[in-house]
Amino acid sequence: MMTKQVRYEALVKALHGDLYRYAYWLCHEKQVAEDLVQETFLRAWRALDSLKDEKAAKSWLITILRRENARRFERKRFDMSEYEEATITDTQSVTAEQQIENRWLRDKISQLPPEYSEPLILQVLGGFSGEDIAAMLDLNKNTVMTRLFRARNQLKEALEAEPVKRGKYNG
Amino acid sequence: MDDLQFRRAIYADPNNPDDDVIEAQQQDPSKKQFAQEICKLDEKIKQALQVPIPDDLCDKLILRQTLASHQVHKRKTRIHLALAASVAIVGGLMLNFMQFSSAYNKLGDYALAHVYHEQGSFNNNGTSKVTLASLNQKMSAFDGNFSQSLGKLLFADYCRFDGMKSLHLVYQGKTSPVTVFVVPKNEQLSFDANFNDKQLFGSSLEFSHSNIIVVADKNESLEQWQQSISDTINWSI
Repeated sequence: MMTKQVRYEALVKALHGDLYRYAYWLCHEKQVAEDLVQETFLRAWRALDSLKDEKAAKSWLITILRRENARRFERKRFDMSEYEEATITDTQSVTAEQQIENRWLRDKISQLPPEYSEPLILQVLGGFSGEDIAAMLDLNKNTVMTRLFRARNQLKEALEAEPVKRGKYNG
Repeated sequence: MDDLQFRRAIYADPNNPDDDVIEAQQQDPSKKQFAQEICKLDEKIKQALQVPIPDDLCDKLILRQTLASHQVHKRKTRIHLALAASVAIVGGLMLNFMQFSSAYNKLGDYALAHVYHEQGSFNNNGTSKVTLASLNQKMSAFDGNFSQSLGKLLFADYCRFDGMKSLHLVYQGKTSPVTVFVVPKNEQLSFDANFNDKQLFGSSLEFSHSNIIVVADKNESLEQWQQSISDTINWSI
């Protein structure tokens, strides 16, 4: 009983950040992301005994979270019309150049089709290899690599096209 | 490795560990520059992806789990308590059943066992004598009385006959005491009119509320005992 508790707390401490971020990029809403993470960890707690290999914990949790996210759509059909930029909330409003760029880039990442952004997030945030991502998303590796290529390509093009127009022009 | 292939590989994974990708970078400075550019982009993406995590998320997760497991624990203890209670009840019932249910299911078997159990207590030539009056007083509990004595009555008292209150009479017999039981009718023990073993034999008489069982050794005439009992006993109901 006690060791299970300790394992769980260690798991939460080590991975809740990554998982929250992943959830956030999956649903683009802070509150929903938090709920998803809560559900995921609760499920993880119940099934903790089935987790034999601690190294696989992250991908295990992400798999649970993706399933949980899918369930969200089964339960309730959201009217997901067009994605609105205004709904992305950013708490960081420090006026450093980096922050502005971050914010802008976040918008761009949010605008990526989910099938492109998801592998990208798994690769950059999760540090998973192409094979891992392919296994998690149930795709073949070539598809994953192509999507990663397209995701970066789109971001790069957007980044190259934007700076000229970026900023506020008065007068 | 041609340029397009290289670009695709780098775009797909800027930190591509493949040997030919690394080799291509080393051979061509422009490729290396491109790879670095994409690495920089990746850094930016990484930073952009690092959305702030709610401070209390970690605590919330642990709290929620603690509450959930506490409830499970409570439910479990309740189940354990219920199980323990059930086991106790079953145990109690079984004990009860074993203690108070008869090991015998025939009237005769029990009668023989009873006689053997108390065999040593009675002496056929004993001097004690119970009067007809005190016998009838005891018989009143069974709504019956004897109009005259059947013989020399050595002993008369209530006793437990397989858990039932019954009257245990011991008469002087020819060679060993003759035992007569007056037993209320009971469904647990099946009536058997005649029974015997190597030493003793016995017979039962069935009356409306009671059975009268005579157990004696093989020198006695049970028919005679039965006859005299039937002749002398009167039931008030």
